[in-house]
Amino acid sequence: MAAGARPRPGWSRRAQYGLFFGFVVAVAAIIVGLVMLTLSLVAPKSYATIRGAALDVTAPITGALREVVTTTTGIVSGAGDYWNAAQQNGELKRQRAAMMRRMVEAKAITLENAELKKALALRERDRRTVATGRIVGSSFDSPRRFAVLSIGSSDGVQVGMPVRAADGLIGRVVETGRLASRVLLVTDRANIVPARLMRGGQPVIATGRGDGTIDVRPLEVGKNPFIRGDLIITSGTGGLYPPLVPIAKIIRLDDDGAIALPLADPGRVSFALVEPPFEPAALAEAARGTVEP
Amino acid sequence: MPRSALATNKHRPLSKGPRASHELYPAISVVLASSLAVLPIISQNGWWPNFGLVMLLSWRLLRADAWAAWVAAPLGLWNDLVTGSPVGLSVALWTAMMLAMDVVDRRTMWRDYWIEWALAAAFIAVAEIAQWRAAAIAGAPVRFATIWPAVLVSALLFPIAAYLVARLDRWRLGQ
Repeated sequence: MAAGARPRPGWSRRAQYGLFFGFVVAVAAIIVGLVMLTLSLVAPKSYATIRGAALDVTAPITGALREVVTTTTGIVSGAGDYWNAAQQNGELKRQRAAMMRRMVEAKAITLENAELKKALALRERDRRTVATGRIVGSSFDSPRRFAVLSIGSSDGVQVGMPVRAADGLIGRVVETGRLASRVLLVTDRANIVPARLMRGGQPVIATGRGDGTIDVRPLEVGKNPFIRGDLIITSGTGGLYPPLVPIAKIIRLDDDGAIALPLADPGRVSFALVEPPFEPAALAEAARGTVEP
Repeated sequence: MPRSALATNKHRPLSKGPRASHELYPAISVVLASSLAVLPIISQNGWWPNFGLVMLLSWRLLRADAWAAWVAAPLGLWNDLVTGSPVGLSVALWTAMMLAMDVVDRRTMWRDYWIEWALAAAFIAVAEIAQWRAAAIAGAPVRFATIWPAVLVSALLFPIAAYLVARLDRWRLGQ
């Protein structure tokens, strides 16, 4: 293939100027781009409107395509369930009986818990869900881990609100359009979640690693407290994330911490619940974008 | 005598020129490639290719006169908005890449597919490093090694994109 060099302008003054001004415009565009980039890195809120509008335009398309994907995989896996159905049925019945026994125990514990709290005069805040939506897409070619949620400010979603699924914590809202919003996943490096170990309640910090896993470190330096299979739950410290939401499961230990896998896989969860922040004051701080939760 | 004069196909007249508004197709194809970000892909590791950039590089490597260098700026702005990367990153990066391509065009003595592929891979790596650096400044300093799978995937996509672009180029110029 021959070198595709632009034709030389020759002696034509007009062509020379054309090339030169093209170059000047390109350099100006680079400078404008750098200024925009600086602005979006230093003050991420400056593009909130235009980015929200872009979300509103693209997210409905993504949502519709997501429906198709869900339906298709549903048909395939649905057919697979008929395979070996009798044995599965027996297995499920056994599991159900075991679950029922555990549930009765749990109900008794809840009752006891409520009575104890009453005795201590602890007041629980009303934890209602702001809105329910679906995860429809995500950032897929960058080190950041964002997901697109199919509900936006018209449903009451605000920047800073925590997002969870039935399985566990998903992340928090960082951008809202009217119809869709963008969620910072717990696996993003910038998402730092105050957490604790389910077994023993030792306070830990969960930080995303950007590759689908979470880095967990104990708050106090000492012996590595983790065992493979340990569950990490939110502690409620900082006031943004509600306490006692499962986050991740430890899969590997390292020197002074561990690597964990999130329990709620954004690609699999059917519904994501947007909740009000645990402490309402935390929302204002998160919206200003200055404070880590 | 040109072979086309001997052909009996009525649908291909001899004097067939480029298609109407043929100069818009390269930009449109890059916009569409960027818009692949609306696909319902939920990725936990970010190894998917940078479709818009790969398309842009394919066009620029095939034809130096596909567009003026500054056209990369609006294309980059669209890419930033749809993919959710920091606004301005692709604007500055893509335009700078177009200018760098002009320099490369002057400096290379000869070109073949391997050199073009290597060039594209180098530009893709630069883009991924820039993304990594921007993420670090924005408060998400991930390990540097995590960018290589994404570079590899985008670089492997390049021949496919180059093939598509070559087909589209033939079609738009009506050859």
